Amino acid sequence: MAKIQSSDDTKRKIRKPISQKIILSGPLDSPEISENVNAKVEIPAIDAQKVEILAKKARNPLWVSLKRVPRRIASVLSNLPLAIGEMATIAGLMALGTVIEQGEAPELYFQKYPEDNPVLGFFTWRWVLYLGFDHMFSSPVFLGMLVLLAASLMACTYTTQVPLVRVARRWSFLTSAESIRKQEVADSLPRASIKDLGVILMGAGYEVFSKGPSLYAFKGMAGRFAPIGVHLAMLLIMAGATLSATGSFRGSVTVPQGLNFVIGDIMGPSGFLSNPMPSFNTEVHVNRFYMDYYESGEVSQFHTDLSLLNLDGKEVMRKTISVNDPLRYDGVTIYQTDWGISALQVSKDTDGPFNLAMAPLKINGDKKLYGTFLPVGDTNSSNVKGISMLARDLQSIVLYDQEGKFAGVRRPSSKLPIDIDGMKIVIEDAIGSTGLELKTDPGVPIVYAGFGALMLTTCISYLSHSQIWALQDGTTVVVGGKTNRGKVEFAGELNRLLDSIPEIVNTKTTPSKTLNSESKDGDSLV
Amino acid sequence: MIFATLEHILTHISFSIISIVITTHLMTFAREIAGLSDLSEKGMIAVFLRITGLLVTRWIYSGHLPLSNLYESLIFLSWGFSLIHMISKIQNHKNFLSSITAPSAILTQGFVTSGLLTEMHQSAILVPALQSHWLIMHVSMMLLSYAALLCGSLLSIALLVITFRKKLDIIFLLIRLFSFGEIQYLNEKRSILQNTSFSFRNYHKYQLTQQLDHWSYRVIGIGFTLLTLGILSGAVWANEAWGSYWNWDPKETWAFITWTISAIYLHTRTNKNLQSANSAIVASIGFLIIWICYFGVNLLGIGLHSYGSFALR
Repeated sequence: MAKIQSSDDTKRKIRKPISQKIILSGPLDSPEISENVNAKVEIPAIDAQKVEILAKKARNPLWVSLKRVPRRIASVLSNLPLAIGEMATIAGLMALGTVIEQGEAPELYFQKYPEDNPVLGFFTWRWVLYLGFDHMFSSPVFLGMLVLLAASLMACTYTTQVPLVRVARRWSFLTSAESIRKQEVADSLPRASIKDLGVILMGAGYEVFSKGPSLYAFKGMAGRFAPIGVHLAMLLIMAGATLSATGSFRGSVTVPQGLNFVIGDIMGPSGFLSNPMPSFNTEVHVNRFYMDYYESGEVSQFHTDLSLLNLDGKEVMRKTISVNDPLRYDGVTIYQTDWGISALQVSKDTDGPFNLAMAPLKINGDKKLYGTFLPVGDTNSSNVKGISMLARDLQSIVLYDQEGKFAGVRRPSSKLPIDIDGMKIVIEDAIGSTGLELKTDPGVPIVYAGFGALMLTTCISYLSHSQIWALQDGTTVVVGGKTNRGKVEFAGELNRLLDSIPEIVNTKTTPSKTLNSESKDGDSLV
Repeated sequence: MIFATLEHILTHISFSIISIVITTHLMTFAREIAGLSDLSEKGMIAVFLRITGLLVTRWIYSGHLPLSNLYESLIFLSWGFSLIHMISKIQNHKNFLSSITAPSAILTQGFVTSGLLTEMHQSAILVPALQSHWLIMHVSMMLLSYAALLCGSLLSIALLVITFRKKLDIIFLLIRLFSFGEIQYLNEKRSILQNTSFSFRNYHKYQLTQQLDHWSYRVIGIGFTLLTLGILSGAVWANEAWGSYWNWDPKETWAFITWTISAIYLHTRTNKNLQSANSAIVASIGFLIIWICYFGVNLLGIGLHSYGSFALR
């Protein structure tokens, strides 16, 4: 309500008592409206009462000052040093978030930031844990700062940027040579015609307006609008990110080749706006998982062939996904993010093939290693011996004999038997498991719209809004101009343009109003 | 093998030429010698062509855009510096960018050619996550923006140095001279012009700082735009590859910090009271932050952007 009043203020410029304005906007008061609807007969009485109450309120200085609160808040929020402070704080917090380990157990912070030996003399684990700096990017301090920044963005757009554009759009001719000379760039051309100037400015891409002896030209108005667009795009991205944070589902799963899972089973909501979708009933079947390799043997790409089955078991979609090429189905996106080896198919002599489950082995470094074991002889004895098999990828399996000695390397595709301690071992196949990540994110379209807008508007923001005024003063043309960004370039451009204006050679002074092509021709003949 | 040799020749030629350029540049900076200044210009063109050739060779040789590790990104960065140099020359602005871009190019090129990063010289294969069309857009935009932002913040640092020296001068002069001169000295253009006796040099200095201020603003403006494009294309790429457009990965976070600092700089420019020295201080802080973002995070090898040890998560 207060907002409406304030806009009324500015639009109509009413300087009359405040009570009048309140009557204007009175019916917008929501509780009264419901009463009005319920008992139509009493409307006049209620209105009269209300007006009286509001008039009293208006005379009350407290009410008047309360009424100004939103505007005052807006003006405080749109304060530039405050906004800069907010941005600096956010930058500082982000930097802190990369310095402090994120998402660790409290013990680590007790150890790293001890109380008896604080970092920088004051920074202890209490700071970290109480302010939530162990999860900086979701801590109330950080999110609060973002909200504050968003408020500042809105306030600044409303109170500073929009009026600035309004002023810029209200172009006007300057009719005194003095005010033109006061511009940032100013020059006066003796023996020149303002018409030539207009033509040259038009050729340089300016919008030119002229009235009598005055001329006004501008270029790059979009450069004035674009910063508003930047702010709005930022707000759009923030809104989208909020929706992402509160309304999405995520889940990750490792599925051996040939098995199924139901999407809904692994998805977990992220916030109170997360609503399950019908596509959660879809079943996903991993047809195949395989890797591509470079000639040097390193992995070049991971692929998973997925089939989506609906409740009736009918295939609704099939796609081979890989890193950078996810599957999208009805709001759900399935990413290839990880892999593993689930089993080896091995046959011993004529027995088999058996499926031997493979386990990930922990070693230093970031490369994966999987191992399995084929027992030989009496499996019930306390001292089981057997053949160990290790694999780094699906390409080659390293085999060790009962003594632990290296026996050989086999490719699962070769079907070539290997002889270990008199046994013929054939690696039939290595079965991979694919690590998938699933998500639904309703915020993405909004965020992408914000991204697009932000890219466009920041590019446009680089344009300078240049304005040129000129006045024919006798035979002299007084030119002045200003611009908001590329000041040096503008001065150079204007100088270049002014240099190209033809000089009118005449013997007698010509009145400015009769300066036209005919007189010019006549003059040049002399 | 031919490619490797060609590459070797190109790096070393560009490094030698750029060293010559810098020497001539320093000489011309001290005293205007027409011939030498021309030589340094020709040298920069040669360097630009060499580095372009180097990048193209590597591209053909490795089959992907040469931006897969720190070494290649550094070459690209020095290419970015020489590109900025070329553009400012083509536009034919008389400005101080060239005295920033040429040394920047030599420093990065020198760092690349030196032994520090020898084990990285080999063109790396692309891990699965990097195999995307977004690589070209994202990485080239980021590096060009780093180049532009570094140039802009260096100009600001130069401005700060000059202003600071000027302040020292003021203190010095205050002791010696009447306070009359200094007040006008601090005032703007017109009053300095009127103050005929001793302000011709000051006016020159004033013009110099104004120029530095202006060009650092324009160059940081370009850098900011490129950085925006780079970060956003990176976010879109991340949404394709990792499943989220923003992960608060250290590199991402620092890029965002850099973006925020640039935004602060651009905002200080909108306020007349905060211009010049204040915005220059912000830009100099930005200089440090760009280096942390570009180099620090990589050297620590943390996060998803640690080139080299970039296994599938």
